[in-house]
Amino acid sequence: MGRDEIIFLLIGLKWTIALSIVGFVCGCIAGLFIALARTSGVRVVEGLTAGYIAVFQGTPLLMQLFVVYYGLALIGIKVDAWLAVAVGLTLHASAYLGEIWRGAIEAVPQGQTEASKALALSYSSRMKDIILPQALRISLPATIGFLVQLIKGTSLASIVGFTELTRAGNIISNQIFQPLTVFGIVGILYFIMCCPLTIYGAHLERKFAAQAR
Amino acid sequence: MNEISSSKPEGQAMISMAGVDKWYGAFQALKDINISVGKGEKIVLCGPSGSGKSTLIRCINHLETYQKGEIRVGDIVLGHQAKSIDAVRREVGMVFQQFNLFPHLTVLENCMLAPMRALRLSKVEAESRARQLLERVRISEQADKYPAQLSGGQQQRVAIARALCMRPQVMLFDEPTSALDPEMVKEVLDTMIALAEEGMTMICVTHEMGFARQVADRVIFMASGAVVEQAPPAEFFSDPKHERTRKFLGEILGRH
Repeated sequence: MGRDEIIFLLIGLKWTIALSIVGFVCGCIAGLFIALARTSGVRVVEGLTAGYIAVFQGTPLLMQLFVVYYGLALIGIKVDAWLAVAVGLTLHASAYLGEIWRGAIEAVPQGQTEASKALALSYSSRMKDIILPQALRISLPATIGFLVQLIKGTSLASIVGFTELTRAGNIISNQIFQPLTVFGIVGILYFIMCCPLTIYGAHLERKFAAQAR
Repeated sequence: MNEISSSKPEGQAMISMAGVDKWYGAFQALKDINISVGKGEKIVLCGPSGSGKSTLIRCINHLETYQKGEIRVGDIVLGHQAKSIDAVRREVGMVFQQFNLFPHLTVLENCMLAPMRALRLSKVEAESRARQLLERVRISEQADKYPAQLSGGQQQRVAIARALCMRPQVMLFDEPTSALDPEMVKEVLDTMIALAEEGMTMICVTHEMGFARQVADRVIFMASGAVVEQAPPAEFFSDPKHERTRKFLGEILGRH
């Protein structure tokens, strides 16, 4: 395996990182609204978002990517693989993060909401200043855990023809006929991204558990 | 108390509840509550657990809804719309059994937040007000600590200061000493007594009968969601009219 092949893999790695960041950041923004809708107390809104979450948690990510990629083309919107995958990952991440944060919002003690109300804080202030900062802390280990899943999930983008790390590995492997070496390296690159996050998540979990005592 | 506006004439009701009923499903938690509290008056609300005393004061700032009757705070009729609820909450401070301080904010930030957000005070004004009130509950040296670093009694005094930072017309206390270790009860009661002496209108749900004797203008006894008896403390303790009141006093005073 030569220098050119390594560079090709690293370009694939760059797109994997880009997809992960876009999916995670956009998923966070959309997921925040999902979580707020899920805890809004308005029954119709809660029902609709519960349905949204159920659909994305109940179907494979690969199928979701297919639906966005071919579905958008079918209704006449022509998008390239990059955009389709980014949209698909965002929708997927928003559903999962929305559900993680719903749980975290509900885990903040009721007394915090009552004290905020008694102090005449508005809904937006109550959420922004009191509930969400505490919920974010509670949800951090699970959120990081999901980020790791999402990074690995971007490998499915290879199936709709987007050249990220996994597909780059596939292409190289077909050229030089050394699948074990190539996918070994690909695996190590995923591991280098994910493992520190997992360790950090576990560290946070221990830290919060110690503080809760 | 110099911080409370004295625009309202003496004798006018600061809080009035007229014919208030509340149900949880089929269970009636409050039954035809009629109470009027004058400006500067101190009320102690007592009764067995489950008698509806906490529910009653939580209706006054609309932490609980009620199905019938009318509640007024000053000039404001408490409706079920956000506008009147917010207006009432700006005038009514509340202190909780579990303190409910914001654990991710320092003591000072706990006190500054609501004046900045709900009263639109500048940061400088909010901080000077917060420091002044922390001084008043004698805890100013803890301003930069987090709630978890304080004792229960200190936390509850911070909670009192936090509520006072809104310059409320009325303070509601929901069993403020029930979650405290015995040696910390006094510091919180002393703070409440000082507040009472400054003329604050107060409604306190408490089993501290010493406090009731010393501070209350009137003791209201509730049982099963209804007001059974109300009287000045001297009369309430020496000459209770109702059998349920006598039974309650026997239990609570016999225990101490």
